[in-house]
Amino acid sequence: MTGQTRSIAPLRPAPLAVLGRGDAARRLRTLALLLPAILLALLFLYYPLVFIVQMSFTEGSSFLSPGGPIATLANYALIGGRYLPNLLVTLQLALLATIVDLIFGFPFAYIFVRKVRYRTPVRALMVFPMFGALYIAFGMRFILLPGGPATPVLQALGIASTDALFSLPSVVFAMSIFTFPFMVLNIGTALGNVDPTLEEAAACLGARPWQTFRRIVLPLTRAGTVAGALTVFGWSIGTFAEPLLLGSANEQRALAWTVYQRGVVQTDYGLSTAMGVVLLGVAFVVTYLSLRYSRGALVE
Amino acid sequence: MRSSPALPASPLPAGSRPPAAARRPRLSSRRLWDALSHAYIWAVLVVFILPFLALVGFSFTTRPGEAGVVTNYGYVLDTFGDNLLWSLKISGLTLLINTLVSLPAAYAIVRHSFPGKRLLFSVLTLPLYVPGAVIGISLVLTYNFTYHLTTSMWGLVLAMALGTFPLMLTPVVVALKDLPVIFEEASACLGATRWQTYRRIVLPLIGPGVSAGLLLCFIIVFNEYLVTLFVHPPGLTTAPLRVFNQIRTAGLAPTTAALAVTMQLISLAAVLLFFRLFGARHLKGTYLL
Amino acid sequence: MSTVRLASITKHFGTTVAVHEFDLEVADGEFVTLLGPSGCGKTTTLRMIAGLVEPTGGRVWFDDQDVTFLPPRARNIGFVFQTPALFPHLSVAENVGFGLSVKGARKAAIASRVEEMLAMVDLTGYGARTPSQLSGGQQQRVALARVLATDPRVLLFDEPLSALDKNLRESLKFAIRELQRRTGKTSIYVTHDQSEAFAISDRIVVMNGGRVEQIGSQTEIYLRPRTGFVAEFIGANNALPGTVVALEPVSGTSGQSGEHRFRIRSGELTLSCRSRLPVAVGDAVVAYLRPEDLAVVDDDGAEYRNVVEGEVERVIFEGPTAQLRIRVAGREMRVDVGGSRRLTLTEGDRRVRLGFDDLNVVPADTASADGGSGGSGGSGGDGSAEPVSA
Repeated sequence: MTGQTRSIAPLRPAPLAVLGRGDAARRLRTLALLLPAILLALLFLYYPLVFIVQMSFTEGSSFLSPGGPIATLANYALIGGRYLPNLLVTLQLALLATIVDLIFGFPFAYIFVRKVRYRTPVRALMVFPMFGALYIAFGMRFILLPGGPATPVLQALGIASTDALFSLPSVVFAMSIFTFPFMVLNIGTALGNVDPTLEEAAACLGARPWQTFRRIVLPLTRAGTVAGALTVFGWSIGTFAEPLLLGSANEQRALAWTVYQRGVVQTDYGLSTAMGVVLLGVAFVVTYLSLRYSRGALVE
Repeated sequence: MRSSPALPASPLPAGSRPPAAARRPRLSSRRLWDALSHAYIWAVLVVFILPFLALVGFSFTTRPGEAGVVTNYGYVLDTFGDNLLWSLKISGLTLLINTLVSLPAAYAIVRHSFPGKRLLFSVLTLPLYVPGAVIGISLVLTYNFTYHLTTSMWGLVLAMALGTFPLMLTPVVVALKDLPVIFEEASACLGATRWQTYRRIVLPLIGPGVSAGLLLCFIIVFNEYLVTLFVHPPGLTTAPLRVFNQIRTAGLAPTTAALAVTMQLISLAAVLLFFRLFGARHLKGTYLL
Repeated sequence: MSTVRLASITKHFGTTVAVHEFDLEVADGEFVTLLGPSGCGKTTTLRMIAGLVEPTGGRVWFDDQDVTFLPPRARNIGFVFQTPALFPHLSVAENVGFGLSVKGARKAAIASRVEEMLAMVDLTGYGARTPSQLSGGQQQRVALARVLATDPRVLLFDEPLSALDKNLRESLKFAIRELQRRTGKTSIYVTHDQSEAFAISDRIVVMNGGRVEQIGSQTEIYLRPRTGFVAEFIGANNALPGTVVALEPVSGTSGQSGEHRFRIRSGELTLSCRSRLPVAVGDAVVAYLRPEDLAVVDDDGAEYRNVVEGEVERVIFEGPTAQLRIRVAGREMRVDVGGSRRLTLTEGDRRVRLGFDDLNVVPADTASADGGSGGSGGSGGDGSAEPVSA
């Protein structure tokens, strides 16, 4: 009588906390709750994306024309040819900004997590960059203006103002300021998960600080760091305020701006959507990699 | 490499006395490191707010031929007043839509069971990973050719909502996960309907999480210029877009700086208010913290 | 107030059977406890009665009403959880009045009822406080007041005391029983703590692995366990597996109507036993003997139905009693003695004679897999005992 019988044919699986009757009613309720979000995403993200992918294979503004759209691959060819510098500049800027963030962000995150007690003022100040790259670019442009506040310093360093203002370094600098908090967040979270006693143990065993860093801290925070770097990279390829306000003609070829120019101003829909698709492709690859690294564990 | 199968004999002879304690060096390397570390943090923070401070400074200057300092900000309210109002209005409407969209979805994701939850969550948070220019171009073209939304402010609002509702979804999901189911069960056993339970028990208790989402969305939408540039209806210019346009057409002007400063001050006020009311912990898992 | 009837209540989670065809009838105003180890299905059953879990099969009735698929809010029940689950953002008064306010009662009515309830749990004047300002025991009392405020027809308790410390548990369990008596509400209580169940129940349902082992009063369960699980889960027991060798004619001298007497052979011992169930020669059974039912005899023990001899291997002095481990016919048995005897016996005493009456038996296939390691099963009572191997 006490034998445990487990061989009963499996019945339909039971839901979690059940507060109502009937599978159908429950499913309907779930759907109703999810519908607004799904609709919003479908109508305003997925469909438009499909739309522009379609359009990227048409020529110019032929989508509108009475004759109907003309199919072509020329847009992508152009991106690989004439507009390749735009793509390359975009990637280059994003890459450099990411590297700068990594170099300066890691120590910042480390010190913040391990040593700083006065967290709130730091957090309060860290929000500033998030208000927008626009203000950062604006502010920096003002600072670097010839005759502006930075001029004496630059002169002392022997750099001409105009060189500093419209140049790659200032664009990269501005971009890295904007994304710095995101990088710090990701690294900080990863660091927070590393037990400080591990570092102490290494020190007690005789490791020098650099050795501890390289062999203990770095490997353990690799996932968060990579996730942070990829996030920053993904955000950086889509920006145009910094290149536009702070960059020379070279930087102003950033793809995001080109998309606007060709698409909205010059109505070359085919080309601009193709550029958008390329940007999207890069972003997706980056996102996929970063999610794999951070193991998006929010919904488990 | 330190591994050795047999430990060598200790260099100290048994029973010997330890040497006398060394004197502490005056400027120990650890304290130097500490000082440098903190200096680094502050240096970086200064760099963060340098553009802002520069703009503040700039906004208090006058160009030759223009009127005095105070009128720069007066100018903001006058000429740019419309833009500010639009920004506030668009932000408010976006927040409303985000709330109506995210709250139910978050509840379903956390409390209901259905297949493909992770996939759905990824699908819903995808907008965060799409570059702004891509959202912009796709929406402006879709509005033009399919939805015919180019002249309505709702086009802009929905574009903003689409880009930011994942930022609302995440804190609410986290807050719901942290809320033990037992409260809802107790409420149900006491006779409350599902809606009563939600309104009187769940909502108040996830309030901080919801507010975190609202704060994030507000900050992003209020200061948004990129997608706005693509999809704004003619005649509707939000403040950040105005800043952008001004710089490109009229160059750097103190009045523009004043507007930029105003925007940032309003944003900062929102953040500080949130910190004051709820503390920082509810922003965990979001991009702000 | 209503009766509760469970008809073949079943719950499957995937391929796991959590509750298997559970039948139960609870009379109006009765206090029934579901007792068993964790994972036995008692909480799942309770939640099905509440409507928090939908049964896979079977039906639940409150009086004449089939409530099987009714949501909890429509059943008019009171559910007391393991943690007080007081709404942290509401005051004590608002908590207690919650059930009434969601039904739309008027403020004045709610306020007076809240006063009444708080008085009933001895927390008058605490209305304005918030739950975080109360101790664990006070919180649980507010939880009681909260469920009683809506005048439910059935009260359900899911191990409400397990999160509290020992002294609090003692006082609170009697308070719960008192409240139940006063209000006369049909109550179903879940616990794994045997002493708790014994202290406050009218009837006890012993459960194991999703099934009912035995339903009965405290004395029935303790003195006449029907299965090996019950015999070992409740209190301490010595298990003696054996085979029926001889039946005795039904003589009725013992006064227990319908009981059969017989002899079994367990190892080298031949023992006199009784059982309500009919047995046949050759049946495999397990005989159970409670430590307190063994008496140390100085004479020949003629007044006992069974007499054995053994050697004292261990004496554990517990204060009011002493636990003896005595080796009888190669088997270690636990004997509890009180009085002066507990001071005179020492380890090494060889010829100790033990007398006891007819043993209760259960069918061998209802005992646990290893043939019955008697010991203190369910927690409570005799925590210091060690399992006695057969």
